[in-house]
Amino acid sequence: MTKMRSNRLKIIFMLCLACVTTGGQHFESKVAQLLQDETEHIKCFVEGKDLTCFWEEEEERNHLHNQYTFTYSYENKNKMACAVSSLSLLASNKTIFFCKLAKTPFFTTLHVQVHRDGQKLYTRSLNAENFLFLDPPRNLTVLSSGKEGQLNVSWLPPQLKYMDDSMIYEVRYAAEGSDLGKVEVIKVSTMLVLLGLESDTRYKVWVRVKPDGVAYKGYWSAWTEPVFGVTPPSDVDPLIVLLVLSIGLILCLLSLTVILSHQKFLLKKLWPDIPTPEHKFPGLFTVYKGDFKEWMSHNNGSMWGRSVHVYTEELPSPLEVLSEVSLTSHDTSHREEVKPAEEDEEKESERSDSGLTDRWPDPPHAHWLMDQLRALQENPESHSQSSLLQSHDTYVTLNQGDIEQQADDVFEETLPLQTLFSSAGTPSLSISHSDLGSLQQSSGSGRLSSQSSLEYPNHTWPPKGPGYAYMAVADSGVSMDYSPMSSSRIAELGRHRIYTNDYKNEIFPHKWPLSGQYIKSG
Amino acid sequence: MVLEWTRPGLSSPLRPICDLRVLDHFIKEAWDAEAAMRACKDACSIATNFTVPLTRVDFDVWEAMNIEEKAQEVQSGLHVLNEAIGSLQASNQTDVLQSHVDASISNIASIRQVLRSVSIPEYVPPASGGEDEETQKVSSISELFQVHSNFLRGKVRHLLASAPVCKQGVS
Repeated sequence: MTKMRSNRLKIIFMLCLACVTTGGQHFESKVAQLLQDETEHIKCFVEGKDLTCFWEEEEERNHLHNQYTFTYSYENKNKMACAVSSLSLLASNKTIFFCKLAKTPFFTTLHVQVHRDGQKLYTRSLNAENFLFLDPPRNLTVLSSGKEGQLNVSWLPPQLKYMDDSMIYEVRYAAEGSDLGKVEVIKVSTMLVLLGLESDTRYKVWVRVKPDGVAYKGYWSAWTEPVFGVTPPSDVDPLIVLLVLSIGLILCLLSLTVILSHQKFLLKKLWPDIPTPEHKFPGLFTVYKGDFKEWMSHNNGSMWGRSVHVYTEELPSPLEVLSEVSLTSHDTSHREEVKPAEEDEEKESERSDSGLTDRWPDPPHAHWLMDQLRALQENPESHSQSSLLQSHDTYVTLNQGDIEQQADDVFEETLPLQTLFSSAGTPSLSISHSDLGSLQQSSGSGRLSSQSSLEYPNHTWPPKGPGYAYMAVADSGVSMDYSPMSSSRIAELGRHRIYTNDYKNEIFPHKWPLSGQYIKSG
Repeated sequence: MVLEWTRPGLSSPLRPICDLRVLDHFIKEAWDAEAAMRACKDACSIATNFTVPLTRVDFDVWEAMNIEEKAQEVQSGLHVLNEAIGSLQASNQTDVLQSHVDASISNIASIRQVLRSVSIPEYVPPASGGEDEETQKVSSISELFQVHSNFLRGKVRHLLASAPVCKQGVS
């Protein structure tokens, strides 16, 4: 029997010890905190449903706990006593005496007193519901919400009945390693989303609790142990990345399309071709290695037309102006004289200031020429030289008799023009019956590139003399090539002008039997 | 013709007011009155005593009581409190005191409506007619309003929190 009682007492003692140990951690911390914060001699707090009041041992006094008596009363009832205990605080090296009221009455005024050796030491009146000292929140959890700069914080309230809806929480958080922190206050709810945090940062979070002050009042609990949470790294919205890539791809495709469609143009602009004359001199560089003399000697006969073409293309040809007619100011402003000096001496009178013009005269001049030509046709003898000259202002006739002389005197470049005479002695002036049909038809071919005054109606001049052939020189800025080839060029003997426009004359192969050949008569 | 068809009928049942924030509003006003009365000790002193209800809540005992017992304790206490505070309306007091007295009387009436909405039984006067044991005597207006706030924060609030109608909605 005695053994059983002792065993029971031991069990109860162990349980009490366990309870004290479990709650002791919080109890001592609460006592320590109130020792600093509470100014009353009797410091009281409610832990759970029990009110605990304690007081501090006077300095340098070693009193025993049984020297103290603690009494309390309420509602005009008789005083009731409470057992006093002592506790030594290791952290502060202090000793306290405390009393824990069993069945604490709430919502009524308690009157407590401390006596030592029969003498009243301390007194205090308080309502127990105003001195709640709650335990810290439980199960603090910090998780990443997945969103940038956010953390989800959640916890459980301290185990306390009747007061779940009367609590207020304070959340403190700070970046790891930083002393600066922020505090968020939240009522009733036990979860909070922290916003505005730095990305990819480790944060420490604490939480504490206290009554909201309406039905219950009390002290702030101790902070929970810190819990760490890491915010997610900042990332670009994948939709934005996708849109940027798509736009970039579209722009690249558009650029490629534009470049490919204007490839030739762009290449010409950026990398212009260096013009080479190789195509004009077939075999010159490939066969004769650039030896022009050699090339000329081998290609002299067959390429005569070509040479004519070449000469006419590059060098001014001798032109003889037969008449000078003052047309409009446009014409007179563009008078030019024949180049070769020998021809000028012989046929100076035949020159026409307007025979060679830089460009085609305007159509009114053509009409005038037409009239002149008609008149000449009707009565060629009555026409004076001047009129003939006038009618010849746009073309040149070369005297055969002078051809040979001209061949000696005239510059090589003028040779191509000494091609079309079949009768000797015929004054060149008489060679007024130039076949303008070629010009006509040539002009009628529509291939003349510039304005032409030689817009004659279908009309062919019968050649006056056999064999005479006229080479009409159209001062049109058109170079006509009388080679059997399609292209024909006439180079004007201007001062410094050489028209090298390509001209394709379909008539010449039909009208002109010559193809760069001299026609000599007599 | 329409008026003949209409008849005064029974009032529709009140919608249950289970939100404790409603009661908290009245409790806050009771706090203000208590603080105001504590400040005017001399001006608010009277020569008579007040019979006021007991405000003590022993949770062990309270949890053991049924809803009818709790309701009776709360309803009788509100009745006694209403009479004690109402007795101050006739006395010639300061404007501050009168405003708090009027507010407290109005709040007690509102609290009764709240308890009625959650189907708490109405006050039934004791058959014996004697003094209720759950009362006490106070000698000052400050103590009167202190009892007033304690009663609302304690018994009334816990009764409302434990109302079966409100717990049915939660469960």
